[in-house]
Amino acid sequence: MDLAKALKAIRRSIWVYHLNSGSCNACDIEVLDALTPYFDVERFGIKLVGSPRHADVVLFTGPVTRESLPKVVRALKAMPRPRLLLVLGSCGVGGGIWWDTYATIGGFSKLEEILREQGVEVDRVVYVPGCPVRPEAIIYGILVLLGLAEQKVREVEVHAPGG
Amino acid sequence: MSLVKILEIALRTGRVTRRYPVEEPLLTPEFRGSIEVDPSKCWGCGACTKVCPSNALTLTPSGKGLVLEYFVGRCVFCGMCAEVCPAKAITVTKKFELASKNLRDLRSRVVHEVLRCSVCGAPITAEAEVRAVVKVSPITEEYVALCPRCRKERFTKSVALRIGASSGPS
Amino acid sequence: MTESVSKLIEELKRLGGRVEEVKDREVYLVVGRDNLRSLAKALYSTGAYLKTCAGVDERQVQGVLSIYYIFGLDELGVDVVLRVPVTEDDAKIPTIVLEVPAADWCELEARDMVGVEITGRPVRRLVLPEDWPEGIHPLRKDFDYSARPPRRFRSELPEEVGVPLGPYHPALHEPEYFELYVDGEKVVDVVYRGFHVHRGIEKLAESPRFTYKQIPFLAERICGICGFVHSSCYVMAVERAAGIEVPERAEFIRSIVLEVERLHSHLLWLGVAAHLLGYDVGFMHAWRIREHVMVLAEYLTGSRKTYGINIIGGVRRDLNVDKLDRILKTLAKVREEFVKLVEVMLSVPQIKLRASGTGILSRSEARALSVVGPVARASGLYRDIRKDYPYFAYREVSFKVPLYTEGDNLARVLVRVEEVLESIEIIKQLVDKLPGGPVAVESWDVPPYRRAVAAIEAPRGEDVHFIITGVGKPYRWRVRAPTYQNIPALRAMLRGASLADAPLTIASIDPCFSCTDRLVVYDLRTGSRRVLRIAGGVSACPL
Repeated sequence: MDLAKALKAIRRSIWVYHLNSGSCNACDIEVLDALTPYFDVERFGIKLVGSPRHADVVLFTGPVTRESLPKVVRALKAMPRPRLLLVLGSCGVGGGIWWDTYATIGGFSKLEEILREQGVEVDRVVYVPGCPVRPEAIIYGILVLLGLAEQKVREVEVHAPGG
Repeated sequence: MSLVKILEIALRTGRVTRRYPVEEPLLTPEFRGSIEVDPSKCWGCGACTKVCPSNALTLTPSGKGLVLEYFVGRCVFCGMCAEVCPAKAITVTKKFELASKNLRDLRSRVVHEVLRCSVCGAPITAEAEVRAVVKVSPITEEYVALCPRCRKERFTKSVALRIGASSGPS
Repeated sequence: MTESVSKLIEELKRLGGRVEEVKDREVYLVVGRDNLRSLAKALYSTGAYLKTCAGVDERQVQGVLSIYYIFGLDELGVDVVLRVPVTEDDAKIPTIVLEVPAADWCELEARDMVGVEITGRPVRRLVLPEDWPEGIHPLRKDFDYSARPPRRFRSELPEEVGVPLGPYHPALHEPEYFELYVDGEKVVDVVYRGFHVHRGIEKLAESPRFTYKQIPFLAERICGICGFVHSSCYVMAVERAAGIEVPERAEFIRSIVLEVERLHSHLLWLGVAAHLLGYDVGFMHAWRIREHVMVLAEYLTGSRKTYGINIIGGVRRDLNVDKLDRILKTLAKVREEFVKLVEVMLSVPQIKLRASGTGILSRSEARALSVVGPVARASGLYRDIRKDYPYFAYREVSFKVPLYTEGDNLARVLVRVEEVLESIEIIKQLVDKLPGGPVAVESWDVPPYRRAVAAIEAPRGEDVHFIITGVGKPYRWRVRAPTYQNIPALRAMLRGASLADAPLTIASIDPCFSCTDRLVVYDLRTGSRRVLRIAGGVSACPL
């Protein structure tokens, strides 16, 4: 599949499906907030849809609780290719404050392994940290996903100056 | 009737949309974004890793040295680390544009040289921390580069010697 | 301790209770399991509400497993806590649901989490995931908080948890759902299947990862909407248990932020309710007005969700002249715009028609289930923690508690509308009376094995935290969010109602689920099953 072509095709009309895997709702109401007048993501042609089958991009929130895991996998399976994911919030990205508890699986990287086992391929993931993510951060994340904005963060490793 | 009234509200309000990213984001001066660790100030003491509620900050020994890692992907942006940092090396920035295509780019590390015990060679702690500690509370030079075990040993020995000297056989 | 409280204690002693501890606001009694039902009955019939119950593994300290039943006497502002200890080998406690219907969930939760068998009632798994192994109880002290028993991964799921289908809805998504049993268009019964958001918070707080100081940041993440309520409730419980005196200024700041949170929560809910009624214009305008409050919240606390300023012994951020000025200006703007919007919204005929007379919860049912918050106040129960058990700076302000007796969806809308206006007045008074001084105590110490109950009026109702202190961290921390208490009332509201009104009615309690939630509808006549989407989401308060 030509990812670049697919990205270009949805550039002005992005249908998003919001998938909550057990988040605290803060990111979720910020997703909603992004749709309301102050941020108005319909400027970019972004529209929330009610089914992953209709979705170009899935907005993924939450640390993936054990109870929600099978449902999450199934929802992602239902999504058409290319599967584009915007993982929102510290819970989704790194498991958040509950990254190691018995009731969660610990964020998206763990889910990715399970998806692979289940044969569900994901074509592109963009991680958006924040606790909660600001509506502007969500917009910026979508722009990065579509290649309309440059990624600003880079891996940094600095040696502390010796004495 | 209600339609006319709501139209009146809409018209009077006008456009409120912040056209981010063309316009400025709706940030207030108090916003807490990601943190930055200044490697030239950081001691590598790990006080921040002990208060971090989500373990976004970790201090782990590795082959390279003692590594303080900040994983912004797990950060809850509470800013407690900046409050406890004894070296004032951590600043809370207003950065929120943290989107990344991979998890690797969400990590930043400060690598500290590890001071080793001059007797047994066991790792003691970050060199920068020892320097900082020496600055505030001068320790006799001979003890600085010793691990706690060797230090204890040497100290006991010297005390024993001294006691031996004063209360020796008369 | 007033005379009426001492009289009650005498009565409870006569019924077999033994007084363990008497504090200003709480009375602790030990009760044998054989006497539990008669004590619970006596308490409930004298007008006590059940706040919650909590299973505690006290084997390390007392050699027993216990369930704590927390009853609140609203008129006296006193909590009566019954502790029922049982041995591990004979861990059985009789149910009290016949006497106290509100105990339904918390009993089952104690069974799941601590492994105390509840006898005399049908039991089912409530909180733990479906594939969780039998016999493993996370809140037992010998269970490691980060242990993850093997999963039985089923790739094929039963139809009712399938992929949601339906139209576009710009609302919250939370994975919880209801099963509605219908006969034609009439709802016959409702079964709630939830706890998808169980993240193991109570256990995590006991884990080596956490200390007293860090838990406020965990507590506020219980809920993304009323996070400040949870962190305040936690710090209040610890402060009460340890006898920490909080500076007055900090109490005022906490109260201000709590009311700011109520404003944004009610505006959010009002928008969603408008959306559910098909009035999207109202949704957009309510959220536009809400944005002023969000910006204010960030200016006061550094986070749009009021996260991060509560600490034990005070707050981390002070208010200066600029901030106070900004508060008053924002409130004036919000009030002006809100009054206009509500006037228009309530004059829309469809809203009136669809909201009035639907989802009725009678006063007696509300009482039996100990419902809380706007749901209680719309059914004629005068319950408001800010009045009944005054905390922080609420003693210093005067405000009205809106009360309606209709118990329908419109009443619940009106209660929240009036509360927005009351909140604005409360904040103004607090700003006006804000005392000087420090905002946090310099040092504090929490002695082990002290107990305390703390309750706060959250936007959705009473939030209860119960704490048993431990060494460096809580021994047991029990959180009961308001929605936990209100969801069981939905059964009463929905039974016999028309199916078309179900989504609005469910939303009217401002619960923990949303647009992704489906009602699975079972038609009892044909035996068929179909999935109906609840159009639109609702603000949430997950556990």
